Amino acid sequence: MRIIVIGAGKVGYTLAEHLIAEEHDVIIIDKDDEVIERCSGSLDALCIRGNGANAKILLEAGVDKANIVIASTESDESNMLACLISKRLGANYTLARIRDPEFNESQMLLQNELGIDVAINPERATALEISRLLRYPFAGSIESFAKGLVEMVEFRAQEEDCFVGIPMKDLAGKLPRLPRILYAMVERNNTVMIPGGDFRIQPGDKVFVSGDMLTITEYFRFLGRNKHKVRSVMLLGGGRISYYLSRLIVPMGIHVTLFEINPVKARVLSEQLPKVDVIVGDGTDQDLLEEQGLSQMDAFVSLSNRDEENLISGMHASRSGVPKVIAKNSRLAYQDILNDLGLDSVISPQFITSSTILRYVRARENSNGTKIERLYRLVGGKAEAIEFIARKGDSYIGIPLKKLTMKKGSLVSIIVHQGKIIVPFGNDHIEENDHVVIISVESGISDLNEVLYK
Amino acid sequence: MNRKLIVRMLGALLLIEAAAMLPSLIVSLVYGEGDALPILYSIVINLLAGSSMSFIPGKDQNSHLRLKEGFIITALGWILLGIFGSVPFMLSGTLPRFEEAFFETVSGLTTTGASVFTQYTFDHACRGILFWRATTHWIGGMGVLVLTLALLPKLTGRTAHLVKAESPGPSLSKLVPKTGATAKILYKIYILLSLLEFVTLLLCGLSPYDSAVHTMATAGTGGFSRYGDSIAHYNSVPVEIAITVFMFMFGVNFALYYKCLIGEKIKAFFHDEEFRWYLIFAAAFIILISFLNLDYYQGDFLKSLRYGSFQISSIMSTTGFVTYDYNQWPAASHIIIVIAMLIGSCAGSTAGGIKVIRIIVLSKLSRRNIRATGQPKKMDVIRIDGKAVDEHMLSQIAQFAFMYIALILVGGFIMSLGSNYDIGTNLSASLTCVSNVGPGLGAVGPVENYAGYGIHAKLTASFLMLFGRLELLPLFILFTRSAWHKY
Repeated sequence: MRIIVIGAGKVGYTLAEHLIAEEHDVIIIDKDDEVIERCSGSLDALCIRGNGANAKILLEAGVDKANIVIASTESDESNMLACLISKRLGANYTLARIRDPEFNESQMLLQNELGIDVAINPERATALEISRLLRYPFAGSIESFAKGLVEMVEFRAQEEDCFVGIPMKDLAGKLPRLPRILYAMVERNNTVMIPGGDFRIQPGDKVFVSGDMLTITEYFRFLGRNKHKVRSVMLLGGGRISYYLSRLIVPMGIHVTLFEINPVKARVLSEQLPKVDVIVGDGTDQDLLEEQGLSQMDAFVSLSNRDEENLISGMHASRSGVPKVIAKNSRLAYQDILNDLGLDSVISPQFITSSTILRYVRARENSNGTKIERLYRLVGGKAEAIEFIARKGDSYIGIPLKKLTMKKGSLVSIIVHQGKIIVPFGNDHIEENDHVVIISVESGISDLNEVLYK
Repeated sequence: MNRKLIVRMLGALLLIEAAAMLPSLIVSLVYGEGDALPILYSIVINLLAGSSMSFIPGKDQNSHLRLKEGFIITALGWILLGIFGSVPFMLSGTLPRFEEAFFETVSGLTTTGASVFTQYTFDHACRGILFWRATTHWIGGMGVLVLTLALLPKLTGRTAHLVKAESPGPSLSKLVPKTGATAKILYKIYILLSLLEFVTLLLCGLSPYDSAVHTMATAGTGGFSRYGDSIAHYNSVPVEIAITVFMFMFGVNFALYYKCLIGEKIKAFFHDEEFRWYLIFAAAFIILISFLNLDYYQGDFLKSLRYGSFQISSIMSTTGFVTYDYNQWPAASHIIIVIAMLIGSCAGSTAGGIKVIRIIVLSKLSRRNIRATGQPKKMDVIRIDGKAVDEHMLSQIAQFAFMYIALILVGGFIMSLGSNYDIGTNLSASLTCVSNVGPGLGAVGPVENYAGYGIHAKLTASFLMLFGRLELLPLFILFTRSAWHKY
């Protein structure tokens, strides 16, 4: 597809990188000379210097033939304007990054009037992700598939977990009471593996299990992981993510203590969030944190604008005995190092935004003929989950999975049959119109027939 | 530095060269003049070297090509292509000495067209070898790396560097988002124009073999003819007109043909500032030289126009075909020819020279400097096609012009060492090599050749041609210490 990306900041650049890897024709528009130079050097895209809200520049980029226009500049207004003009000039589908909470209130109106097909709010998306992590505090990350019917939860295996050291194929025999769940992936030493029958989980492995919500809850209850329910959270930094997050978790009955160094900002926050304790002070001040009861907190979320501050205060909170620590980090590059430091939940708004946008792009592509329903990037892009719909006439239909050959590095993780979740084992089979979620460590799968065949 | 990746890319280039020799093999089989075996051996040598390089074991540390690596691949690749491309000349005995075979091949690949072929060589060369000589023009014109990317777009990531290093002109204008697709479009236009010329020459009465050889030499703006006396051999006005027009056409930026084809029609050309000036320069030079030569042709204006227009089109497009021994023209015409050699044609074409776009920018820059002496506080932006040109780009172009002139002077000095030729011969030889034209003045004039130069001068000239074709920087980078660092 022909995709125009306006604004090649962190989000725009990551997006363009992924879209090019997926063989789309990408055209980048940015105002900054240096950005254009960097992009044309390292990305296989057409780079145009100019304002993305300028009709002449957009026409030069071929907006009239564009399938998708993604506006991801710093400015909400520019993004909206770019989408409006692109749509008028004949672009098919427009996505805009709109972050100001004020615009959020009138989002529907704006979207309809301005011809924006999807408005992405990175801060809100990030807040949503964090709120999910707070719901399952033992989880490093959570993904949901099949319209939220199925979830995949990441957690770290511990020495005392009963499944450690037992080959996968013997689990059901040796531990009859452990709820049957799918072990979708295991990450060890930064490599992602799909566990086979002889695979043994070791302590320290990152395990990804998937199933419906009920099974997952039961599973973790059996493992004894759900003892700590989050009732109190400390937030560092009074930015937009903190605002959205508070709005999301306060109704869940969670008590929020928020640190903001700027008194004016703190006052506004306190006005907007009556139930939140807004503390005016430096969130990196250890004494101040202690005074507000850091070690008694159930969770600590550092969301300031400075990555270093977030990571260090995250590590400090972790050492003070806070069971769940989430830190914001804008740079994707250091993710592996951070895992080694013991910070399991590191989130990057850029990654969340770009993967949200990618999901929409792929859904568009789907309507253009490929068979992918939805595609999710997992573990920082090291693996993918792909949702397909089984089509009439495909060779695998009606045959038990154990009789089919499966592509190496891939796994059928979920079958949704008429709204019912099936965690597939050898005797299960796929029927027509079932939703099938495939997990794969290889990218570029575009058809279910590539993965499963007789 | 990612040495394995570099070696692998270089191997791929040799494989492409082996494939490019196949048509010559077929031609030699058709005519059966005894050059089939040498060409076959050359193909085998290229295949062996290419495949052993491109399939070296081990994994790349990083499949991303960095800017520096792109330039190094380009520079080393062209030198290597020159070395391996000279094998057919040596094996067939046409040019048994390495420095002569290398000179001829590099002259072909860089589309210079300077030759060490004497009349004796022409009389004894087989048609398969002459076909290979013309083929080097055709693949060198649009670029071997561009061809590699068109055929194997997935070879490596970040390929823009390679095209940038190989394409002539101050900046790379991509036609479509993907580099590989851009390379494909360029080659499609190239093939289309070549076919057009081939058919035209056939209609002018040339044999298919002669048409093919001269088409490839025109398309690459090279200038190797099948005959020692070049196009003058035919003494035919239609052939001359056809080649004049096509030489001019291959000096035009190929992006304009693309724009023309996708719907801008003829507007695409006249809205382009560089093309307008290219046309103005060519027209001015033709009129000027026709009048300057009027006395020499005893007042026969049509005759003067016929030879003048062909020569200007040939020199400006840096092809180097000849219909008349312009050594006999008056001195003023020689100056015009030297100026035309320096300017060359448009960026993004197959031609050499400083390029019209750089000349426009340099003129505007000079005008700005003159104005600024009287009005130093005025903010003065330089525009091309109505768009402001970046100051960084301006200084790059100025530096390029300096290096270009400096290279010609130094090259001329080295070539003059130990030679009996005069200053005009030596300097024009250096200029014509750097500008990839071919014939110079005096003893390297249109009806002469480079056989009289010594070994060191031939090798120097070969490298001057490479410097000119790759627009200096890729080769200069080889002389920096950082190019050979391990990281």
